[in-house]
Amino acid sequence: MPMFKTPFNGYSVKFSPFYEHKLAVATSQNFGILGNGRIHVLDVNPAGGPMAEISSFETADGVYDVTWSEENENLLVAAIADGSVKLYDLALPPAGNPIRSLSEHTREVHSVDWNPVRRDSFITSSWDDTIKLWTVDRPTSVRTFKEHAYCVYQSVWNPRHADIFCSASGDCTVRVWDVREPVSTMILPAHEFEVLSCDWNKYDDCLIVTASVDKSIKVWDVRNFRVPITVLNGHSYAVRKVKFSPHRQSLIASCSYDMTVCLWDYQVEDALVGRYDHHTEFAVGVDMSVLVEGLLASTGWDEMVYVWPHGTDPRAP
Amino acid sequence: MEKAINRQRVLLEHLRPSSSQRSESVISPSICSAGDSAAYQRTAAFGDDVVIVAAYRTALCKSKRGGFKDTLPDDILAPVLRAVMEKTNVNPAEVGDIVVGTVLAPGSQRASECRMAAFYAGFPDTVPIRTVNRQCSSGLQAVADVAAAIKAGFYDVGIGAGLESMTVNPMAWEGSINPRASTIKQAQDCLLPMGITSENVAHRFGVTRTEQDQAAVESHRRAAAATAAGKFKDEIVPVHTKIVDPKTGEEKSVTISVDDGIRPSTTVADLAKLRTVFKKDGTTTAGNSSQVSDGAGAVLLMKRSLAMQKGLPILGVFRSFVAVGVEPDVMGVGPAVAIPAAVKAAGLELDDIDLFEINEAFGSQFVYCRNKLGLDPAKVNVNGGAMAIGHPLGATGARCVATLLHEMKRRGKDSRFGVISMCIGTGMGAAAVFERGDCVDELRNARQIQAHNFLSKDAR
Repeated sequence: MPMFKTPFNGYSVKFSPFYEHKLAVATSQNFGILGNGRIHVLDVNPAGGPMAEISSFETADGVYDVTWSEENENLLVAAIADGSVKLYDLALPPAGNPIRSLSEHTREVHSVDWNPVRRDSFITSSWDDTIKLWTVDRPTSVRTFKEHAYCVYQSVWNPRHADIFCSASGDCTVRVWDVREPVSTMILPAHEFEVLSCDWNKYDDCLIVTASVDKSIKVWDVRNFRVPITVLNGHSYAVRKVKFSPHRQSLIASCSYDMTVCLWDYQVEDALVGRYDHHTEFAVGVDMSVLVEGLLASTGWDEMVYVWPHGTDPRAP
Repeated sequence: MEKAINRQRVLLEHLRPSSSQRSESVISPSICSAGDSAAYQRTAAFGDDVVIVAAYRTALCKSKRGGFKDTLPDDILAPVLRAVMEKTNVNPAEVGDIVVGTVLAPGSQRASECRMAAFYAGFPDTVPIRTVNRQCSSGLQAVADVAAAIKAGFYDVGIGAGLESMTVNPMAWEGSINPRASTIKQAQDCLLPMGITSENVAHRFGVTRTEQDQAAVESHRRAAAATAAGKFKDEIVPVHTKIVDPKTGEEKSVTISVDDGIRPSTTVADLAKLRTVFKKDGTTTAGNSSQVSDGAGAVLLMKRSLAMQKGLPILGVFRSFVAVGVEPDVMGVGPAVAIPAAVKAAGLELDDIDLFEINEAFGSQFVYCRNKLGLDPAKVNVNGGAMAIGHPLGATGARCVATLLHEMKRRGKDSRFGVISMCIGTGMGAAAVFERGDCVDELRNARQIQAHNFLSKDAR
């Protein structure tokens, strides 16, 4: 199966929503603690064989996350550790990039998510405890959401409602926001420990999945958030990222500091449906292709990027 | 630094959540007290070093009697040139230069043959080619030349190759000898047959016949074991050619994919019966000398950043190359001088080297060099050497690169640095240091460590 060795430590992977063979990878030198960053755009090469690099962009500080525009197939947004958010246009020569650098966050930007419904805006979350809303045509942020008491690790748009998103924070809460409202609409004390990741279900717009330092993954219904619908145990260290499948209502992918990537079906008793231990360091980035059902991508601090169909060995040559 | 400490603190919290009061673990920059040996693992963040992504060779066959006796030199070279491109899927038009080490053939004719071989291999006419002659080390010199040109920025992708057909071009001296040679001893010594230099090494440094025969037997044993285990399958490119029956004159098409000089059943007792060739009371026989062979090899080198861009597995990293001069009448001692120089140039120590490929031109010089440097025989020529596999002069260097790097790949974590070295007629030696690439599966290849081997040299 295709794999790619990056010079820096992997932080995040994202399949292009436009091309099934394009993959963006965010990487940071020295585990993201000190040094440069690099964004790779890879050709997954569905025919098999090694992945080839289409282009790459270097940054002065680590890149923690990257996402594709839902509107323009060539547009990428990157979350940079120096607090900036940078936009890249793949159609332009490297010298013309980044096309924009937005410096408002005062600490590391840890996630970026493009609005899939309205397609004109994106949100970033940062270790400065805030979330910012941006549109492509404005040089400054539209709004700053400041309620969390510690690092915000991820914020994700609702797949149905253009104005709603949720955020996961190190203050142990998940909050649900409506950009039309002045304050957050819901505070979910999701875990006893830091919450590192969250995602919305793609078929039921009331379901949220959360992942925490407490090693567990929880699925919540926002209409009744006193108790989780289910708790998924199986990772042996903090769960770094969690994601609902774009194809199956009950399928969840996760990756963890225990170096594994896991697949879960939260509706069945034996929820763990797949475990991949191909990484030899912390697995910190995972994504599922929207265009090819069952196609997974992951990256980790072992400087490797893997793409494989569910059920096969990612390391198989 | 403040930033790095804060980042480390945030990430540590993910791993040690139990410590509710934020613990004060602080990193601070300091000079590494263990020094700065090149042997310490570091990441190649800049991607500007020269790496090897493919190394292949033909089988080596006995000249005049072996598999390539009826194959023209360019037909031996073309398959390996084609193989390095096909197995990596690199577009031949991207190659900046091809350098072929080749020794015995007349210079200009061989250069033309190589150019033609490139066309047979499917290269477009835009790709240049040249030959290089540093006698027995020409193949290694070709690889070093390409590495140097990539490092200098002349081009990003190049092929270092080697070719010799000792069937077509036997060793010979053409024309008369300058009478002036007799006025300078070293110049005169350049005319000595290689076998005499071998006898000189044996005599001067006291290498016995038995030691030489033992080295030859071990070489055959290891080469036979490696062949039986299928180890050479990774590096040998099968060549489809023809062979003519010497009696009937009948032409037969064959595929040559196995070295045909290896004799697994060789024993010290058998070799002891052989007559010496160069000196009546000497020690050098046909059995403890390298074989006269035909063959070719090719190595694809490129800048690391390009290899990573293409997603090619990195087989090895080119670290250093050194050529030295020694006394011509004992030319075989070349590796004993060249190896320490190349290892030093790579910033390493002899102990850091896990594998050696030392060309066995003669049992005498091979045993001398091994003992002089105090090398562990278990690390030297682990898959046999030229006494068993053969020594097609110009191709040997490229052959060694293929053998060494594929062996390092198999050994994985167990071997990080390898050295290739050979003596050179007229009194020289060459050596190069290679580092294992990162395409090996480190976990699968890891072996248990028997005794504590301190990671830092200063821990000793």
